[in-house]
Amino acid sequence: MFRFDPYSPEIDENPFPAYATLRAEYPCFWSEDAQMWILSRHKDIVMALNDWQTFSSAKGNMLKELPGRAGQTLGTTDPPRHDRLRALIQKAFTKRALKHLLEPAQATARKHLEALQGREQFDFVAEFSSNYTVDLIVYMFDLPKEGLDVVRDKAVLMVQTDPVTREKGPESLEAYQWMQDYAGKLIEQRKKNPGEDLLSQFILSEIDGDKLKDQEILLTITTLIMAGIESLSGFMTILIKNITDFPEVREALVADPSLIPDAIEESLRYNTSAQRFRRTIAKEITLHGQTMKPGDKVCLTYGSGNRDEDMFPNADVYDLSRKPKGHLGFGGGVHACIGTAIARLACTTAVEEILKAFPNLSKVEQELRWMPSSNFRSPLELQVKI
Amino acid sequence: MRCIMPTVTYVDFEGESTQQELAEGMTLMQGAVMNGVEGIEGECSGSCACATCHCYVDDAWLSTLPEMSENEDEMLDDTASERKPNSRLSCQIKASADLDGIVIHMPEEQE
Repeated sequence: MFRFDPYSPEIDENPFPAYATLRAEYPCFWSEDAQMWILSRHKDIVMALNDWQTFSSAKGNMLKELPGRAGQTLGTTDPPRHDRLRALIQKAFTKRALKHLLEPAQATARKHLEALQGREQFDFVAEFSSNYTVDLIVYMFDLPKEGLDVVRDKAVLMVQTDPVTREKGPESLEAYQWMQDYAGKLIEQRKKNPGEDLLSQFILSEIDGDKLKDQEILLTITTLIMAGIESLSGFMTILIKNITDFPEVREALVADPSLIPDAIEESLRYNTSAQRFRRTIAKEITLHGQTMKPGDKVCLTYGSGNRDEDMFPNADVYDLSRKPKGHLGFGGGVHACIGTAIARLACTTAVEEILKAFPNLSKVEQELRWMPSSNFRSPLELQVKI
Repeated sequence: MRCIMPTVTYVDFEGESTQQELAEGMTLMQGAVMNGVEGIEGECSGSCACATCHCYVDDAWLSTLPEMSENEDEMLDDTASERKPNSRLSCQIKASADLDGIVIHMPEEQE
């Protein structure tokens, strides 16, 4: 009997065979293990993403939601309030507004790569992507320079789930509380001394003359720090894994760095780190003969939609020339990732600098340990050869 | 119950056109982005905050469109390509039976 358990270590490691079965045989599958519906075809996921009246985010968007978060963040509210919140933050996140990030990104990438000169191999997670993404968020949010290792550790723990209890483990909950306290202190400081940074802008903003609630500010900032550090670093690690797993891709990028954005888009499609997000049914709907009732939870399996042959022919092949449009690497609909421009800029700059410094970057045979998470997928460590 | 999928024609800057059937209620921006139609960015995913889904609506359809909000009007002052009388943000136009067959033209650039 087919099962699909998004909490299991097997799915953390390789969800793609199970996705193929879901798409082919059980396009609207009730997972006893996760106690939710699983949608796996590209078309169905896009439909759900664009129908927030039926597939609501207001009861949370993580498969196992963090306590008190639903209804208080961008990702966990529905329009129209979502759109007003998003419009406020969005202005700082557009490509145009982010041009100032390019030079600091190049400088921090070079600094961390410099430190690796003379080595034979290194752990891309601990020695590059963690440091690089933390530096970027420090710059954008003007975070204090002290204790950044702890901020990074907590951001990573927050997104994890326990494979046995299928809950957020005590360490994840503690990390979440810690991040809220950290964000709370920042907010207090910025209220007293607002600066030009993104946090200050957000704290001071109003929606139609209506001030943001303290809890909305707190949890949205907590989420932005988590995503800015963990999601970005996780995806960058997957990107480097692909570039080193497929040496012909690396050679093509070294020969022509203008292809780097294509490698990023194909990685977002092929094995994006944001594998699964959740919605909750608000209006009864029948799909593929199954009736989903109000209150039922639904998992939108982006990582599966991205391998759907109806949308992407030869979907299991990493094809640098594919230039995939309509992939779900950043989700979609009104909740599509707000950090897309940052992610693209940060990844393009990182890969440019990495391949300039280490054009022979290559794979090390190793047993990868994957992050235990029902939402995200990335290796906890990735050794690469220089 | 009448159940049709409204069709939208997207014409790119070079004059090439593609047709897409969209679910009712989906915005023309989302229809372009999710179906891989080039020329519409939609950076802000439809919250009317970036002006990268700018389009020129075929004149025949202008009067059928919902009225422009003050916010959309302001955002249209900030487009990368020239604002014209038929400029709209495609994230603010939803596919519907009334708009079945609508034609929109993409500008030269969005950023």
